[in-house]
Amino acid sequence: MADLVNVTIDGVAVAVPKGTLVVDAAKKLGNDIPVFCYHPKLKPVGMCRMCLVDVGTPKVDPATKQVVKDDAGNVVIAWMPKLTTGCTTPVSEGMAVRTATQQVKDAREDVLEFLLTSHPLDCPVCDKGGECPLQNLTLAHGPGQSRFDYEAKQHNDKHVPLGDLIFLDRERCIQCARCIRFQDDIADDHVLQFFERGRHMEIMTLSEPGFDSYFSGNTTDICPVGALTSADFRFKARPWELDAAQSVCNHCPVGCNTTLNTRLETKTGGREIKRVMPRQNEQVNEIWLCDKGRFVHHYTRADDKLTQPMVRRDGKLVEATWDQAFGVIAERVRAAESVAGVIGDRIANEDAFAVARAVRSTGKGSVSMSPAISAAYADIVRACGVGAATDLKQIGKGDVILVVNADVEEQAPVWFLRLRQAAVDRGAKLVVAHHRSTKMHRYAAQIMRYEIGGIDAWVADSAKLLPDLTAARNVLIAFGDEKLDAPAARSLAQHLANLLIDSGHAGKANSGLLAMYPHGNTQGVFDVTAPMPAVAEAGVVWAVGVGDRADLPQASFLVVQDVVMTELASQADVVLPASSFAERDGSYTSGDRRVQRFYRALPAAGQARPDWWIAQEVARKLGAEWRYEGAGQIFADIVTQIPGYASLSYEALAKGEEQWPPMGRGDLYYGGTVYDNEGGLGVRYVAEAEVGTVVRYEVGAPIAALSGLERPERMLYQDGELIRRSHVMASHVVKPAVA
Amino acid sequence: MLNSMLKEKRSAEIEQILAKYPPERKRSAVMPLLYLVQEEYGYCTDDGMREVAEICGIDPTEVKSVAGFYSMYRKHAAGKYVIEVCDDLPCVLRGADKFIDYAEQKLGIKAGETTQDGKITLTTVMCLAACDRAPMCQVNLNYHYDLTPEKFDQLVDELKKRDE
Repeated sequence: MADLVNVTIDGVAVAVPKGTLVVDAAKKLGNDIPVFCYHPKLKPVGMCRMCLVDVGTPKVDPATKQVVKDDAGNVVIAWMPKLTTGCTTPVSEGMAVRTATQQVKDAREDVLEFLLTSHPLDCPVCDKGGECPLQNLTLAHGPGQSRFDYEAKQHNDKHVPLGDLIFLDRERCIQCARCIRFQDDIADDHVLQFFERGRHMEIMTLSEPGFDSYFSGNTTDICPVGALTSADFRFKARPWELDAAQSVCNHCPVGCNTTLNTRLETKTGGREIKRVMPRQNEQVNEIWLCDKGRFVHHYTRADDKLTQPMVRRDGKLVEATWDQAFGVIAERVRAAESVAGVIGDRIANEDAFAVARAVRSTGKGSVSMSPAISAAYADIVRACGVGAATDLKQIGKGDVILVVNADVEEQAPVWFLRLRQAAVDRGAKLVVAHHRSTKMHRYAAQIMRYEIGGIDAWVADSAKLLPDLTAARNVLIAFGDEKLDAPAARSLAQHLANLLIDSGHAGKANSGLLAMYPHGNTQGVFDVTAPMPAVAEAGVVWAVGVGDRADLPQASFLVVQDVVMTELASQADVVLPASSFAERDGSYTSGDRRVQRFYRALPAAGQARPDWWIAQEVARKLGAEWRYEGAGQIFADIVTQIPGYASLSYEALAKGEEQWPPMGRGDLYYGGTVYDNEGGLGVRYVAEAEVGTVVRYEVGAPIAALSGLERPERMLYQDGELIRRSHVMASHVVKPAVA
Repeated sequence: MLNSMLKEKRSAEIEQILAKYPPERKRSAVMPLLYLVQEEYGYCTDDGMREVAEICGIDPTEVKSVAGFYSMYRKHAAGKYVIEVCDDLPCVLRGADKFIDYAEQKLGIKAGETTQDGKITLTTVMCLAACDRAPMCQVNLNYHYDLTPEKFDQLVDELKKRDE
C-alpha cells in the first residue's frame, strides 16, 4: 500500500494514501464537501470555488524546525489566512481541515448566490430537474434568497445544437468545464472549448460535424446542471417518472453496464425506453458509455418490431398463431434431411444454449454462429484471454499493450478509453500494428505498419518484440480480424497466443488476449453452443438473431427468428418474433469473458417471446421433453454443462460491491445522473491457461489470406438493422466501404 | 473541404512563423498565425481558424478558443482599419468622450460600426495604457496620441488614401 498520511477533518482523524485530495479524504469519512467542477474521474481545476474549506498545517518553529506544541502538548495548527479549494489541495501529514465553520458556510452561500445570478429559474421545464447537482447543493448550502435583481439576469441562447446529438443551453451553463475536460482528458477529442471570457464565456465547438466524438453523450451525464442535454432525451420525460432496469449493452465486446430508463406512454399505450444511462462498474465501463450504446435503443420499439409469428402462404407472409408456426416448422423439420441452426452473436447465453439444444435434439441438426469468423478463434481467447483477476486500472508503467489489426475506438470504444489511459496517464508502453492509421496510433510508443493483406510480414517481424514482452510486467494483446478470412484470423490469434506463452504471460492476471469481437455476446454464444463451421446447404435453416447478415447456408426452407423485420426476415418462410434484450432476463459474456446479467425493462411486445422459449417450444413440438421456466434455470444447465462456467451462478453474477469513488445518483455530491450498480458486477470466468498447462499453438494456415480483403473494416456506426432504426443516429450511419 | 488560401497567399510568412518554434511544438504558432488570418480576412473567420488548426496540428475548436480568449482577435467582420479609442475614466477626463463624438460625426458612423466603403471601423476599448497622452487611439497595431479634431481628420484622410 502507498504511504499513508494522517489528517484530521472536523476533528475526526483519518489516514489516506499520499496524494489524496482533501475532498476525497473527507468523502472517505462521509463528510461531503460540495463540488461542481471537481469530478473524481477528471483532473481537478478549482474553477467553481464551491469546495472552499479551512485548511491548516502543523506550525513549525523556523529556528528549530520542530513542530510547535501548546502547553497541553497538542500540536498547534497554523491555519491558512484564507479558505482554500479542497479539490485541488492534496493532504499532507498532520493537516487539519474545517468544513463546518461559519466562514466556510458563508463561502458556500456566496458561491451559490453568484452561480445563480444568471442561472435561469426554469427547473420546472429543465431536463436535469430532479437529478441536478445545482438543485441539490442549492437546497443544502444555498442562501435561500438572492440579493441580485431578477431583472438583471443575463439572457443567452437556450437551444444551441453542438452537434445533432447534444444541445447546449447557455443560460444554464455554470462554466465548470467538466465537458471540456472530459473531451480533452478522457475521450481525447478536443471538440469543446470555452469562447470569450468573464461574463461572456460560453461553450462552443468548431468541429465538423459539430461535437464530433463517439463519447459525446457522457458530457450530459457529468454536466452538473441542465446545460447539456441529448437530442434523444430532451423534453421527453422527467427523471422521477422513469423506472430503471439494470441492463448490459450488447453492441460491442466491452459489455458496458447500463440502466434502461422506461416510462409508460399514453400515446403508444406501452412502456418505452426513454434513455440508456451508464451504470457504474469500475471493472468494465467505470461510468462511461459510447454514443452507440446510448442512442441505438429505438429498435426495441421500432414500428416494424416483430410482434406476431408469420408464415408464408401463397408467396406472402401472413400472421399466424404460435401453434400454427410451430406446426409448419415441425412438419418441415420432420421432412428435411438436415437442419442448420445459425445463431447470431447478440442473443443471450440462455437463448443460444436453448436454440443449440433444440437444433441438436432433432438428431439431424448442426449449429453454427454468425458472423462465423469469430468462431474461428474464440477458443484461443478462452484459453489465453486476459486472466480472471485482470483489472484494466492496474495496467500502467512496466506493462506492454500490443494492438494488432484492430481499431479499438471503432470496435470497442470504452476499451479504447481505458487502454488509452493505461498508456497516456499510467505509462504503459503501447505498440500498435495495423495497415492503416487509427486513433490509438496517437499514443503509440512504437508503430509497426504493414500493407493491407501483408500482416504476415508483421508476424515474421513480431519476433523482435519478444525481449520487450518478456521483460514486461504484464502484456495485453488487443487484436481484430479486419481484412482476414477465418483461417487467417485463427492463425493470427494462435500466433499472438504464442507470443504470450513465449514471453511467460499466458494465463496471468492483467495479461492476455482481448478480442475485438463484432457484438456483445460473441464469446458467450461460442461458449454455450460449441458451433461448427456452417454447412453449405440444409433442408431447414433456422436463423436466430442474425440480423441482415447474409452468411447463411442455402435453404429450401428458411425460418428467421429476430427482433425486427429485417430484410432477411422478409424473405423467410416462417418469421418468429423474438423479445429484445430489454424484454427479458438473461446474461451476456463480454469479450474479456465477464459474464454479466441483464434484467427485464419492458413488457413483451405483442406475441414476442424470448428466443429460449421459442426454441424450447419448437423442440417440444418435435417431441422433446425438456422445458425451462426461466432464464435462471437455463443458466443452471449452462453451469453444469459448459466448461469454464462451472464456478458461476446467477447469484454470483448479481453480486455487487461498493464502487469507489461513489458516482451513482444515490450520492448527492459526486453523483451525477449515472446509476448505482444494483444488478451485479458480473464474474469473469477463468481462462484455460490459468488452470491447465499451456501448449504452444501450431500456427496453421498462412496469416496473410488475400481472400479476406473484401471484408469491410468494422466501424462503430456501421449501417445495420439496429442503428438504422434509431433516427437520432441517421446522419452518423456509415455505409461499409470496401477498400 | 478545407480551403488553403492562407497557405497559398502567405506561405513565406507562415514558414517564417513556424521556424520560430520547434517542429514538435507547432501549436505554439497559433497566435501569430491568427494575426495573419485577421490581416488576410479582416477578422478570425471559421475557415481561417480551421486553416490555422491544420497548420498547427490541433483541433479547430482549440484555435477558436484562443481567438475567443484574447480581445484583440476580431470575431466579426470589420473594416480594413480598426480605430480603437480608449474611453476609460482617465481618458474621458482628458476629453476622450468628446473626441469619440467628433470621430463618429466625422466618419458618419456610431462606435462599433464600419464605414460604407468597408475601410474604417470605429470602436471603443478599455485601457490601452496611454492615459497620459489621451485622447488616444490605436489603428490596427499603431498608436496615435494627443488627438485633436485636426489630427483625426489628417489620420482619416491618410487611411483613405493609403490604398489608392
